[in-house]
Amino acid sequence: MTKPKSDVLQGTLALLVLKTLAQGPMHGYGITLHIQRVSSDVLRVEEGSLYPALHRMEQLRWIGAEWRMSENNRRARYYRLTAAGRKQLAEEEKNWARLTEAVAAVLECA
Amino acid sequence: MSWLSRLKSLLQVQRLEHDLDDELLSHIEMRTEDNLAVGMSPEEARYDAQRRFGNLTLLKEETRAVDIVGWMEATGQNLRYAGRMLRRNPGFTLAAILTLALGIGANVAIFTLVEAVLLRPLPFPHPDQLVRVYDDIRSSNTHDVGMSVPELWDLRDRSEVFQDISVIFPADANITGGERPERVEFLGTNANYFTMLGVHAQLGRTYAPGDALPGFSEAVVISDAYWHRGFGGDPNVIGKKIRVDGDLYTITGVLPPDFHHPGRTLTADVDLWATTGFAAPPFPAPPVRAVRLLPGVMGRLKPGFSLAQAQAQLDNFVAQLTRQFPDEYPLAAGWSIRLVPAQQDLVGNVRTELLVLFAAVASVLLIACVNLANLLLARSASRQREMAIRLAVGAGRSRLITQLLTESILLATISGVAALITVVWLKSSLLHLAPANLPRLSEVGFSLGVLLFAFLMSILTGVVFGLAPALQAARTSHRSALSEGTRGAGTSNHQLKFSRILVASEIAVSLVLLIGAGLLVRSFEHVLEVQPGFEPHHLVTAKIWLAVPNDPKGDPYFTPEKRAAFHQEILRRISALPGVEQAAIGNGTSLPIDFNHFQSPFIIENRPLDVERTPVAEIATVSAAYFSVLKTPLLHGRVFTDSDDTKGQQVALIDETLAHRYWPSSDSDAIGQRLQLAVARRGQTSAAQNPWVRIVGVVGNIKSDGLDAATPPHIYFPVFQTPPYSAVVFLRATGEPGVLSEALRTEIQHVDPGIPVFSVRTMETVVSTFLAERRFALELLGIFAGVALLLASIGIYGIMAYTFSRRINEIGIRIAMGAQRTDIFRMAFEEGAVTIALGVGAGLLGALALTRFLESMLFSVKATDPLTFGTIAALLAAVTLLACLLPAHRATHVDPLIALRHE
Repeated sequence: MTKPKSDVLQGTLALLVLKTLAQGPMHGYGITLHIQRVSSDVLRVEEGSLYPALHRMEQLRWIGAEWRMSENNRRARYYRLTAAGRKQLAEEEKNWARLTEAVAAVLECA
Repeated sequence: MSWLSRLKSLLQVQRLEHDLDDELLSHIEMRTEDNLAVGMSPEEARYDAQRRFGNLTLLKEETRAVDIVGWMEATGQNLRYAGRMLRRNPGFTLAAILTLALGIGANVAIFTLVEAVLLRPLPFPHPDQLVRVYDDIRSSNTHDVGMSVPELWDLRDRSEVFQDISVIFPADANITGGERPERVEFLGTNANYFTMLGVHAQLGRTYAPGDALPGFSEAVVISDAYWHRGFGGDPNVIGKKIRVDGDLYTITGVLPPDFHHPGRTLTADVDLWATTGFAAPPFPAPPVRAVRLLPGVMGRLKPGFSLAQAQAQLDNFVAQLTRQFPDEYPLAAGWSIRLVPAQQDLVGNVRTELLVLFAAVASVLLIACVNLANLLLARSASRQREMAIRLAVGAGRSRLITQLLTESILLATISGVAALITVVWLKSSLLHLAPANLPRLSEVGFSLGVLLFAFLMSILTGVVFGLAPALQAARTSHRSALSEGTRGAGTSNHQLKFSRILVASEIAVSLVLLIGAGLLVRSFEHVLEVQPGFEPHHLVTAKIWLAVPNDPKGDPYFTPEKRAAFHQEILRRISALPGVEQAAIGNGTSLPIDFNHFQSPFIIENRPLDVERTPVAEIATVSAAYFSVLKTPLLHGRVFTDSDDTKGQQVALIDETLAHRYWPSSDSDAIGQRLQLAVARRGQTSAAQNPWVRIVGVVGNIKSDGLDAATPPHIYFPVFQTPPYSAVVFLRATGEPGVLSEALRTEIQHVDPGIPVFSVRTMETVVSTFLAERRFALELLGIFAGVALLLASIGIYGIMAYTFSRRINEIGIRIAMGAQRTDIFRMAFEEGAVTIALGVGAGLLGALALTRFLESMLFSVKATDPLTFGTIAALLAAVTLLACLLPAHRATHVDPLIALRHE
């Protein structure tokens, strides 16, 4: 039996992708696997929203991309974090912490 | 939307899309592999991998939209940044724009000509179906001998190649009934001429089926120009009667303003069209197969016929006719019919010139680009820190390259717009530079094609001059640039070497252009040295045309005696004019360099008949004084006398070429021999009527086909033995010839007030008009080559000046250590000489490979003339060496103390 999966919330996808890439360059498929594995299969990234998001972040120059051979000797487009992306990641992490604190505060109070 | 897709592919959006497909495919395949690893069946594994993408097309579209919006934003950013950079260096920007605008402008101007003359199809429906039809006689190697009316009928009714076929018969016509008689350019055609071209009248109608008669129909059609000139644009002109060559015609239509007869004419655009079947008076009736009186034929091929197919079918048809009429077409004579596309026929002779000019002007732009690229390379040294910093903060190299390319493309586009505006503004003055006899000149104008060309040329220019410096700048290693940059120089040796290669290449291209121009100059000199066989100074010519009414009864000059009397009377009168030394008269073909020919095969008495190589000569009829008025020498025998008239013995003169060819042992052997023309002359219907004529003299050669053409053999007949309708008057003036034209007209119209006098020109004008086309190509190529030389000199000067400014410390040290000025010069010489030698070597090779395309424009000069090659290469080497020694000269005057402190 697998645990119930929840789709990644809108807006958190960028954070998750940036965080994943902070550990090193990775292709799109690898990113979905990584997020799924680290979240113990709780978070599942939709392919349908991953690629537009990746390309958008590439345009914003948070991430860069290049074609490389994967570990299985397959041609894949690898994304890596840029300096600007690193800054953005710090920003988003701060925002996320503020958001969860705020949500927690509301839950405790209620 | 095609421009958008062009733009997209130009900027590689296409590549992005391709990338996306690859990326998604690799994702799906990786997932499939993993699925297989956990034990799914292959179909299941693949299906699962795809299913997760949901609607793949939608996803692709969304992702692509992101890419394109991003691309547009980035371009916008680049453009804004580029604009700022250009504004920051107004001096550089202005110099670059001026250089490029000149280069692009010259290219746009020449392309406008090329587009209108060569590329744009003739302005008729299905223009590729229109052909000219020529009769050739292969045995005597004579082309365009004219067509007979029965041949035309055969082609029309039996060849099954043509939808329509029509005679085009340019002629002079006299319009009388106005204040003074006027000569107009006239075109006689069949009634289907306008149907063939697909042209309709703007007012009234062209020909109706009822106008297809054996003789002239009463209907005439006039040009828009003549409608305004002769009738003030009167809308009631339809139905008006005009008297043309003594006959009454009715105007039935006015043609649209942009319609021009698509073929060569006698002197000007056609003003008057009339239709006839060419099978009733004034033409021989019934028509004879052997009399090729029709000077030109144009046809429209049936739909679906390629030129080659039509030609093959005609070849068969000709063979069939040759069998059917063995008397008219002796097999050995080699009669054939040749089709030429109408457009090629019209512009064929200027094609090479225009393409050469186009290549030359493109080379000039290329050299300008190279100079600019060098300038940018030098400047990029000062921008190296900017680039290094941007690299350090994480900008990708590709981003930097795009940024720099955006700058150069922006620069080129601004220049392109400036160039286009200038060319549009100067259009009419630029067109005056073109020779007036350039075909289709009236059609030259700006079209979408020209706009598109200017746009693409600008983009291309930007890429060409911007790419190398952009790549160079983006190679910068940021660490070294940031440290080295503090010294302000930081140009690597590698970069300098690259600049030298650029300079060498521009020297090479300039050399090719200069050699091309040099060859044309030498050809022109040779043409000017050619002895025309007559003395053009103070020689006035004028044409007159005795009208030929359709009904001989209405022709006051029907008998030769009447025409002879007329000619004798005007000769008597104009010879007596003050300022006239001597006067002569001849038929239409007696005017040299006017391209009005009449060629005829002939037979020499008591010589075996060689049908395969029938002798052919150009025929002219002239009065006794013709040769002394033209100052053409009499070599043997006598010239004509006044007694050589209709009653006298039939005599002829031949020229040196003909005498040499057929009496090779001695020209004087020809005297007293007899010859006979094998083809009927105008006004005669059959060769059998040609009498034997006795050669009484040999005269010098006259270059009747132009100064740069071979001298054809000539036979001259006394004008009063066969007085022509179309005549040319020659006057040898004692003083300035200009004043004579009005007196000439008055005297001739005194004899007959109904005869217009036209094309009054000095022979000098005739010659210079002939040279105009050659001069045009020469002048333009000369200008382009000069600009190229200037640009190349500036280029090598710039690079040397830059090298020396970088090495000023070193020079300071050398001078301080006691180096002599000559040492500094030697250093400069050695550096420059290598670049120049490289450029000159490559240029010589390039010229060797390319000048053969000029061959058809050259005269008495080989395309690889060693003298021209050597002189021009030495000249170029000298000029560029001087340009690179100037900075050295400056450097030797540097104060060592200042030089050492120089940073």
